[in-house]
Amino acid sequence: MSSPSEDPVENAEGANGGMQPGRYYGRGIPYLPIGNYPGKLIAIEGTDGVGRSTQIQLLREWLEVKGYGVVETGWTRSELMQPTIELAKSSNTLNKLTFVLLYATDFADRLEKEVIPALKAGFVVLSDRYIFTALARAGVRGVDRQWLRTLYGFAIAPHMVFYLKVDVSTLIRRVLAARGMDFWESGMDLKQSDEIYDSFRAYQSKLLREYTSMADEFHFRVLDARRPVDHIQDELRRQVAAFLEPAEKPAEAALTR
Amino acid sequence: MTFSLLHATDFADRLLYKIIPPLKAGMIVLADRYAYTAFARDATRGVDRQWVRELYSFGVRPDMALYFRVPIDVSLDRLMARRVKLKFYEAGMDLGWSSNPADSFRLFQGKVLDEYDRLVEEFGLEVIDARGSIMEQQRFVRHLIAPHLELGEQLETTDEQPV
Repeated sequence: MSSPSEDPVENAEGANGGMQPGRYYGRGIPYLPIGNYPGKLIAIEGTDGVGRSTQIQLLREWLEVKGYGVVETGWTRSELMQPTIELAKSSNTLNKLTFVLLYATDFADRLEKEVIPALKAGFVVLSDRYIFTALARAGVRGVDRQWLRTLYGFAIAPHMVFYLKVDVSTLIRRVLAARGMDFWESGMDLKQSDEIYDSFRAYQSKLLREYTSMADEFHFRVLDARRPVDHIQDELRRQVAAFLEPAEKPAEAALTR
Repeated sequence: MTFSLLHATDFADRLLYKIIPPLKAGMIVLADRYAYTAFARDATRGVDRQWVRELYSFGVRPDMALYFRVPIDVSLDRLMARRVKLKFYEAGMDLGWSSNPADSFRLFQGKVLDEYDRLVEEFGLEVIDARGSIMEQQRFVRHLIAPHLELGEQLETTDEQPV
């Protein structure tokens, strides 16, 4: 409960959380202190067409059978922001800065309304993409990297970050086979080429370099996304089990739902 | 947080379309509220002060920032005289400090005024006593702005020279 007499700065929880899993990266959200929540946050990152949603669906079923409560959250899925983001993308008024800030608002909404309550209640939160998608996309567009990291200082460092890595040629074939290239995925806003194939290839190559450059900084667990679905899933399960099982199991109340 | 970020998005949009182009053209931009409003309001809502300042670091620092200061009762009386109902967010009703809009307004805007007082020092805002008559205030504002404009006029004449 908050009251007007509380000074928000005095309880700036996690102001120096750094890279500690389950804590804020930076200055955090002072009115939402998050120390010692029982839930676990697992992020699955990767560009389009690497099979993130398939892997998350399989992982979720497996976790639930094992008795964990699972909550999923995904990029631009916030109730508050999804219609606005779609509208903005369909017009020509978006600038790289407003783009970044709209994504950040969506992320903040999901963090406050979905992720933090679920972690508090002891759920395993599976995040389909995380802040790294925003950092990569904005980084490619030349937004200041330090400013971006400060901006996302209110994000929680996940307990595990899996990065599904592909090469650009595999990525292109998969996207074309699935649904074709779209304007934003091809980075057409960068106006590097009128030709969508060339633009897609150049843009996605740059994105892949951005992700790679973040791998060490944010402790990515890199998985080769070119391998068959069940191989990747086995590896995911092996690593998740190794992490969750020694850790204390979530409270009974969170298990029976 | 979403309240803060949505306003920052709006600010970025206005900055890029409505502020930077006229500045580049050598025009004067009058901004009714600026990032300082966000600094005061967001901090009152419990957002980290340093984070909000860094969030807005893409903004242009104004050549001059005027702060019209009134005591809380004066602002409440003025608002009530003009309309019956206080706006939900303006009264800080989202914070749940009081179910009575006027009480909530007093608590919330009182804290906002405290934040503005911090900003006056931190950013060198020019304070105008807004209890006075409009004439008095305007005279003072013109007095404050005049020195900045003399410089501006010189620039303008060089711009106006025929090519």
